[in-house]
Amino acid sequence: MMSEIFNIQFLHPSVFYILGGLLIPFLKGRVKQGYMLFVSLLAFFAVVNLPYGTFGAYEFLSWKLTFLEVDKLSKVFAYIFTIMGVIGVIYSIHVKNDGEHFSAFYYVGGSLGVIFAGDFLTLFLFWEMMAFSSVFLIWFRKSKSSLDSGFRYLLWHVAGGLILLAGIMLQYSVSGDLSVQYLPFHGWWPTDFQSLASFLIIIGFIVNAAVPPFGAWLPDAYPAATVTGAVFMSAFTTKTAVYALIRVCAGSEMLIVLGVIMAIYGVVYAVLENDARRLLAYHIISQVGYMVAGVGLGTPMAINGVVAHAFCHILYKSLLFMGTGSVLYVTGTAKLTELGGLYKTMPRTMIYTVIGGLSISAFPLFSGFVSKSMTVTAFGEAHLTWAFIALMLASAGTFLHTGLKVPYFIWFGKDQGLKAKEPPWNMELAMGIGALFCVGLGIFYKPLYALLPHAVHFEPYTAYHTWETLQLLLFTQLGFFLLLKKLWCEDTISLDTDWFLRKGAKAFMWITKPLAKIEYKFIGEIYEFIIQKPIMGTAKVFKIIDTVVVDGAVNGLGKLTLAWSRKIQNAQSGQIQHYAMYMVAGFIALIVVIMVLP
Amino acid sequence: MKLLDLIQVLSTKTIKKIAYSVLVLLIAVDFIIPRHEIHFFGDKIPGFWSLFGFIACVLIIIVSKWIGHMGLMKDENYYDE
Repeated sequence: MMSEIFNIQFLHPSVFYILGGLLIPFLKGRVKQGYMLFVSLLAFFAVVNLPYGTFGAYEFLSWKLTFLEVDKLSKVFAYIFTIMGVIGVIYSIHVKNDGEHFSAFYYVGGSLGVIFAGDFLTLFLFWEMMAFSSVFLIWFRKSKSSLDSGFRYLLWHVAGGLILLAGIMLQYSVSGDLSVQYLPFHGWWPTDFQSLASFLIIIGFIVNAAVPPFGAWLPDAYPAATVTGAVFMSAFTTKTAVYALIRVCAGSEMLIVLGVIMAIYGVVYAVLENDARRLLAYHIISQVGYMVAGVGLGTPMAINGVVAHAFCHILYKSLLFMGTGSVLYVTGTAKLTELGGLYKTMPRTMIYTVIGGLSISAFPLFSGFVSKSMTVTAFGEAHLTWAFIALMLASAGTFLHTGLKVPYFIWFGKDQGLKAKEPPWNMELAMGIGALFCVGLGIFYKPLYALLPHAVHFEPYTAYHTWETLQLLLFTQLGFFLLLKKLWCEDTISLDTDWFLRKGAKAFMWITKPLAKIEYKFIGEIYEFIIQKPIMGTAKVFKIIDTVVVDGAVNGLGKLTLAWSRKIQNAQSGQIQHYAMYMVAGFIALIVVIMVLP
Repeated sequence: MKLLDLIQVLSTKTIKKIAYSVLVLLIAVDFIIPRHEIHFFGDKIPGFWSLFGFIACVLIIIVSKWIGHMGLMKDENYYDE
């Protein structure tokens, strides 16, 4: 496959991250930094070079796997993913831990693999690679709470992945077709096997899109990740899921309702939140809500809006995570109750973060304005007034928190006298690039519109629309300052839907303890009497045959197995991180083999 | 830092005056702004989105805090106990 691709003068963009990542541990210092930047830039130019069409088809058993299917939709996502790859690499280039770079590379490579996958098995393979590589971005924070959050993150994604796999298998058995195709789901419950397949696939996708009640992993995991890891995570998992939803489930009405609930839900939790990065995580849920709702509406304008919004969202949300991450990096905390008065020591970080805040709030001249308004207008034009109003309400909430609450309590508010300075140059450079994109896209939006999957008939800067937005946002600001006392942060966490799982798991353990005793004492004895003894009797007879006939042949093999298992035994550490690492290594080996095979 | 110095020099009163005049101006201009895209009745009322923005903000803060204090907000060590 590799040679075939070389012949036609282009490469699958994820090859750069997946094969390129392998070299990271062998390089040092400036060479390593330059190398990582170079690889991420190469991946971007590989996307620029990519022609439309289907390539990299590969027969595996009886299935046809397609690794590279390029159309307008996958290409625009590839553009933003590789741009984000470059920004993320710059932001994290000072990090000494090679493991972190390695996980980030495979995470980005996995997301590129998903969006170019032409069949569901390939999609699933990369889907899982994303989960298993990104969990290390949480674990490398190396605290007890990050370890726990990472486990929960992995459990959510393994569960979601299995549901997706069940849907894929069912789809295959119903239609015999594994290609990634349009399988919308209508109504709320499946009625036949075909709709059950769509239903399971959609559930698998919305777990990764963090749609409630399956979204609790996101605000749990992202604030627990490393400073630089959270920047990567904010960009890829949910947006890859949005891509998959557009590709497979556009027009599934259920998504409109779920998306609107998400948009508001994220805002409500953001009011209660004290950790700045968790507040931003809740706003990812809110913003992805606009996208999920837009996918549910499914009109060309809505889909254009969703794609444009995902594009802008990755840039401004990563910028916000970079800004608050810098504060965490310098001061050691991201809690709003412990921060305040940093405008004197970190003014440039403040400006970048405020630009991110104005962009997410869809302020005119910032990137969110040209993308969010397209989605919301699509709802207005479809005369879904309830959704239109609810999304406008969530817009006010977005500005209230990300545009006002976060900057106010970090940079103004009560001066805590924290010792702080601007972050290292590379972090600032990454924020500068992100901020430039946010302002640039807000003013020169035509190139972005040209990349969208459908022809665009939308002009964001009409007099009324600009004025409507300004009124909404500036009167939100009035409300913020009048109610500032009520909004003062409290040092708490908020219960989310994962309460049922986290408390449920404890209850389960509590119940199983006495059950285990019963099993051991009572059931064990019955088992011995009814099953074990007769079997042992029969076995004795077989043993005689066995020792005489079979043993000779098997003994040699047995010794070999024993020797092997002694070796493997050393790898069995009993720690799930290690098992996860082996699984990732397995994925990598598999993908490398497939890529390099002729 | 010059911008920040300027903000510090300006008294809170002056900033408030400027801010309130901007808000009044926003509503005033809304009476004469041309309306092409009317999605529902609110788009026909001058100043509708000003009122909407303000009420939305107040509602979001009060309702969320109320829900939070109903039992959603817990001490940080809640899950460790």
